[in-house]
Amino acid sequence: MAKHKADLLQGTLDMLILKALSVGPMHGFGVGQRIAQMAENLLTVEEGSLYPALYRLEEHGWITSEWGTSENNRRARFYKLTAAGRKQLRVEEETWQRLVLAISKVMQTA
Amino acid sequence: MARLSWFIRRLRGLRRAEAIHDEIDEEMRFHIDMRAGENLRLGMPPDEARRAALKSFGNVGRVKEIAYDIRGGGVMETLLQDLRYGARMLLKNPGFTLIAVLTLALGIGANTAIFSVVYGVLLKALPYPEPDRLVAIHGSSNKTPRMAVAYPDYLDWRARQSTFTDLSARMPAGGVLTGSEPERVTGRLVSASFFRTLGVQPHVGRTFTEAEDRPGAERVMVLSYSLWQRRSGGDEGLIGNAIEYNGESWTVVGVMPAGFDFYGQSNLNNEFFIPLGQLANQEYMRDRKSHTVMVTGRLKPGVTIEQARAEIQSLALQLGEQYPTSNYGKSAVVRSFSDDYVGEVRPALLMISVAVALVLLIACANVTNLMLARAAGRRKEIALRVALGAGRGRVIRQLLTEAVLLSTAGALIGILLAAWGNDLLVRYYPDGLPRLEEIGIDLPVLGFTTLITVMAVILFGLAPALRASKVNLHEVLKEGGRRSSGVMGGRLRNALVIAEVALSVMLLLGAGLLLKSFRQVMQVESGFDSRNVLTMRLRLPDAKYREASQSVAFLQDLMRRVTALPGVQNVSVATGFPLGRGSENGYWVEGEPEPQQHEQWASSVTQSVSEGYFETLGIALLSGRNFTALDTADSPPVVVVDEGFVRRHCPDGRLESALGKRLRFGGPSEPWREVVGVVRHVRHYGLEEEGRAGIYRPWLQINPKWFADFTRAMDLIVKTSVDPEGFIGPIRKEVQAIDKDQPLANVATLEEILSRSVAPRRFSLHLLELFALIALLLGAVGLYGVIAYSVSERTHEIGIRMALGARRVDMLRMVIGQGLKLAAVGIGIGLIGAIALTRSIKSLLFGVSATDPAIFAAVVILLLSVALAACYVPARRATKVDPMVALRYE
Repeated sequence: MAKHKADLLQGTLDMLILKALSVGPMHGFGVGQRIAQMAENLLTVEEGSLYPALYRLEEHGWITSEWGTSENNRRARFYKLTAAGRKQLRVEEETWQRLVLAISKVMQTA
Repeated sequence: MARLSWFIRRLRGLRRAEAIHDEIDEEMRFHIDMRAGENLRLGMPPDEARRAALKSFGNVGRVKEIAYDIRGGGVMETLLQDLRYGARMLLKNPGFTLIAVLTLALGIGANTAIFSVVYGVLLKALPYPEPDRLVAIHGSSNKTPRMAVAYPDYLDWRARQSTFTDLSARMPAGGVLTGSEPERVTGRLVSASFFRTLGVQPHVGRTFTEAEDRPGAERVMVLSYSLWQRRSGGDEGLIGNAIEYNGESWTVVGVMPAGFDFYGQSNLNNEFFIPLGQLANQEYMRDRKSHTVMVTGRLKPGVTIEQARAEIQSLALQLGEQYPTSNYGKSAVVRSFSDDYVGEVRPALLMISVAVALVLLIACANVTNLMLARAAGRRKEIALRVALGAGRGRVIRQLLTEAVLLSTAGALIGILLAAWGNDLLVRYYPDGLPRLEEIGIDLPVLGFTTLITVMAVILFGLAPALRASKVNLHEVLKEGGRRSSGVMGGRLRNALVIAEVALSVMLLLGAGLLLKSFRQVMQVESGFDSRNVLTMRLRLPDAKYREASQSVAFLQDLMRRVTALPGVQNVSVATGFPLGRGSENGYWVEGEPEPQQHEQWASSVTQSVSEGYFETLGIALLSGRNFTALDTADSPPVVVVDEGFVRRHCPDGRLESALGKRLRFGGPSEPWREVVGVVRHVRHYGLEEEGRAGIYRPWLQINPKWFADFTRAMDLIVKTSVDPEGFIGPIRKEVQAIDKDQPLANVATLEEILSRSVAPRRFSLHLLELFALIALLLGAVGLYGVIAYSVSERTHEIGIRMALGARRVDMLRMVIGQGLKLAAVGIGIGLIGAIALTRSIKSLLFGVSATDPAIFAAVVILLLSVALAACYVPARRATKVDPMVALRYE
């Protein structure tokens, strides 16, 4: 199984979380699900590592959180992108695009 | 600001800690439940679904911990947790904890106690405003590095100087307060500028005016706070009233504040103050050759001590040109007040500080070793913690917390020890430790304790924590907790033991050198016999004993009465005795070139004594005759000289050559005196000072000009056949039979005086011995610990060796050899260090070189034997290893 999935690149989890949250507020489990769904299950993310990342992003002020009720009526913590977070996401997206472009060029060179 | 808000957030976090924990728990639980639910939906059985959910979440404990750290409050919260856990771990192992805490308490306590003394004496600012502007000014000449100043010289300096706001002069004064209760008091004659120079204000009333500081002015007196309390219970009505001092009436004008002291001796010579200038008409106050006053000055703001020194020295030079007969060659020494205050005790205190710091280092090394050994035993526990999600930083923090707990406990006990040690130090420190009242466990001292405690944690906690946290999970858990120390751990422990041994060597060498110095001092040929000799001073008040004949009659009557007491062998009166008072007088031997200037006079310790003086003090007569009752004011003037005089003035070195020589103390007004006897040289200034020459003259032949002054303050010296203490009462009775108001002063046996004269040396010796002993013990324990540990680690190896045929004695040799090798390396390093260090205590050594081979050899042998003993017990254990058990143990 591991052979088909790629490990997450160091430092990209934050960006993926911001991206996941860009569609709207969701709880931690939802963020994980969303990332898996977006990646079409090609990525392994140790689910536990989501939370330290979420808290870090909150410390940065890129996301905020509040307690709410989940779809199955349980108390859950919902995270929401802030304006600063949206800006940060754009910056990271650009950086990422450039990086991917550069790496692909290198890799495509015969 | 950012730091502060961070801190506040953490603090608030601490209060909300439970809440945050709950939130994080709830969030994780929610996640895992959701995942499990999802798994269930995908068709897994419930058990499986939950297990898979946990697995995909990862290390729950670790995540929670990291999350918690980020969410705020983590630092404080984990600190509390660490403390709780650490305390539990320490209590679980009481033996280790007790030894570690006591070792640290010893090190920290000793350092705190010594620092409290060093701080009180050397570091604390003097209790006057702007104390660094205060200087002491001494006279000096080629012959005498420091001496008092002639009063006219002081007056000229004061009038001509420009670098000081003011100069002040003082002289000791002492006498009897009569009235309701006769009492002997010691105080000072001071210039009116004295209090102004120091910058102190009276508690009530006023100090002296310049007008009162002159001959013929009204007799006024300032009292110390304690004397005021004693005489009047602190009644302000005493101000303006008269007090009876030495038979004269003095008006009290002021009282100094409580605790006012000068030169750190609040009770000695500081009980009252009277104006010095009122004596200005006295012969000795007008004589530039009588060096009578001590001078203090306050520098003008911005003036350096070098500038002041240059000025005073050039003024001294001017006076030398102006008054060549009296002042030629005289100069001055200007030094800061605090140097002057504590100058003599500084080297001893610094040495003791270094010694006690070494003790702390050894203590820390020992605890480090204990921690290392324990950390090795805790590898499994630590590995488990790491496996459960503790990061390396977390483990280090935990171990450091335990170190902090240990050293805090050590520090608390140490402070108790220090308070107790401090009492002992102050009680047993010989007379003359300045500023005694200012020594105590106070805030700066506690600050110092905190500092060394933190240092101790870093010294003994960090290395074991760093090492222990570096665990290899798989290996440790697989090993199943079997102990095995890496090569590195062993190497660190060995290095620590070597360091301990080396430090012990240094301390032992220092103690050994001081011990030998002390022996040498005590064995010095003093020239007199101190056994069964009682001394006391008789200060006869001028008002009552105006004429010299009255004093002489009193003293002769007294000598007659005391001689008649049963058990008294000899009695003498004199102007002083060995280790007591004495004055250096200049003299000129007939036939030698006449001295033209002050500098050219030969000088000697001169005592004026009654017949029987030499017998009383056991000073051997070597040639010629003793004084007799026939040497009186009317007979030809004679002197007895000592070997030092012969060495100086008789080129053939024969004692007889001195007999018949004639000498004169001073100018033509003095008579020629013939040498009639030669006695053994006496170490007058203390056992450690050889001294040069001594001259004795019959007391009745003192120059009539001074005679009355001298006879009003004579020492009575009594040689008894048994313990002289018992004679104090009978002698006092005889004194009061002649004059009922006459008190005795400075009553002491010569043994006491002798012992007091070596007290500072004995004191630093005892302290250093104590520290060296502690060091030796700690070093031995350290060596024992390392060897014992290594034996227990090598049980397996030893078992194999023995199974392969090694004999027990081989094992014994192997283990002891290992220990001795460490000891030998330590001793070598210690010797090198000691050679560097002992040079700095040279000033404290007497009659022994800083590299005395006998002491060095003794220390090496002592340490090797202690090392041998420390290794023997674990070595024995090694020989008892049963190969079968050792191998099966695996």
